[in-house]
Amino acid sequence: MVEYRTHMKIIGDILSTTRDDLQDEDGATVTYLIRKANISHSRISRILKTLVSQGLLEQIDTQGSNKYRISQSGREFLQAYYTFTTFADNFGLTI
Amino acid sequence: MEFLLENILNLVGFLVGLAIGIMSLIGFRNTGSPTLFRLTIAFFSISVGFFVIWAGYMMEDFVIKSGNIEKWIQTLGIIVQTVGYFFIAFSHSIKSFFPKSRYFRAVGIFPLFLISSVQIEHIFRSVSFILLAYGAIETILSYFENKNKGAISVAVGLALLALGEFLGWYSFVFPESILYSISMITKIGGLIALFIPVSKIPLTKIKFDDNLE
Repeated sequence: MVEYRTHMKIIGDILSTTRDDLQDEDGATVTYLIRKANISHSRISRILKTLVSQGLLEQIDTQGSNKYRISQSGREFLQAYYTFTTFADNFGLTI
Repeated sequence: MEFLLENILNLVGFLVGLAIGIMSLIGFRNTGSPTLFRLTIAFFSISVGFFVIWAGYMMEDFVIKSGNIEKWIQTLGIIVQTVGYFFIAFSHSIKSFFPKSRYFRAVGIFPLFLISSVQIEHIFRSVSFILLAYGAIETILSYFENKNKGAISVAVGLALLALGEFLGWYSFVFPESILYSISMITKIGGLIALFIPVSKIPLTKIKFDDNLE
C-alpha cells in the first residue's frame, strides 16, 4: 500500500537526512536529497528555499553547486517534530 | 455523593484538558502543524467546558445555595465540550458533519427555539457520544496500522468518555438511579486513560520559538 506523506513528514525526512545521513561534511546536494526524500525537483526546491529562509537549513555554495546542512534551529525543530509525532500518534493522528 | 463526583469529574476534566491543550499548543508553536492546532482547540474547549460546569457547581454551593445548578450553565458547559469533541473527530477527517443545504440548515436550527435547555443538553450529549465513539474507533484503527501502544490508552479513554456520555444521557430516562454516578466514574476513568500516554511525552528542551510560525 502506498503511504501518503504529509508536508510536515517530507520536511522531517529532509531535515533528518541533512542531520544523520550526509554525503560529506559540506552538506547534501539537491540530487542527494531528492533521492533520499523521494520527492520531485520542483517541490524540493520550494521546500529547501523555505527551510533556508526559516533558518532551519544552511545553504553552502561549494564549487558552483549548492549544498545543504542542518542548522541549530533545524536540530531543535527536528527534535520537536519527533516529540510531537509521538504525541499525535497517541491520538491516531499524523502531524 | 453525586455532587462530590460531579466536582471531581469537572476538575479532572478541566486539568486534563488544560494539560493536553498546553502540550498541543507547544507542539503547534514549534512545528506549525495544523493537526496540533486542531488538537489545541479541541482540548482547550474540553477544558473550558468542564471548567464552566465546575464553576457553576461552586457558585451554587458557595453563593447561590439553591440546591441545584443552573441548567443553562450545565448546558453551556456541555456545548463547549461538544465543540472540543468535534475537533478531535474532525482531526480524523470528518468531511461534512452538518447538513450543507440551506433547507436542512433551517430545519436543523428551527427546533432549537422550541425546546428547553434540558432537551438541548441531551441533544448535545448524544452528539458528543457520536463524536467520541467515532474518535475512539479511528484511534484504535490507527493502532492496528502503527502499533503505537499509547493509541490504545487514548482509544480506551475516548470510548469510556463516550460510554459515560451515553449513560449520562440514559440516566435522563431513570433520573433517580445510580446510572448518573456510574456515568461520572466512567468519565473520570476515561480522562485518566486519555492523559496516561500524553504524560509520558518528554518535553525537555522543547521551547517556544517565535521564528517558526
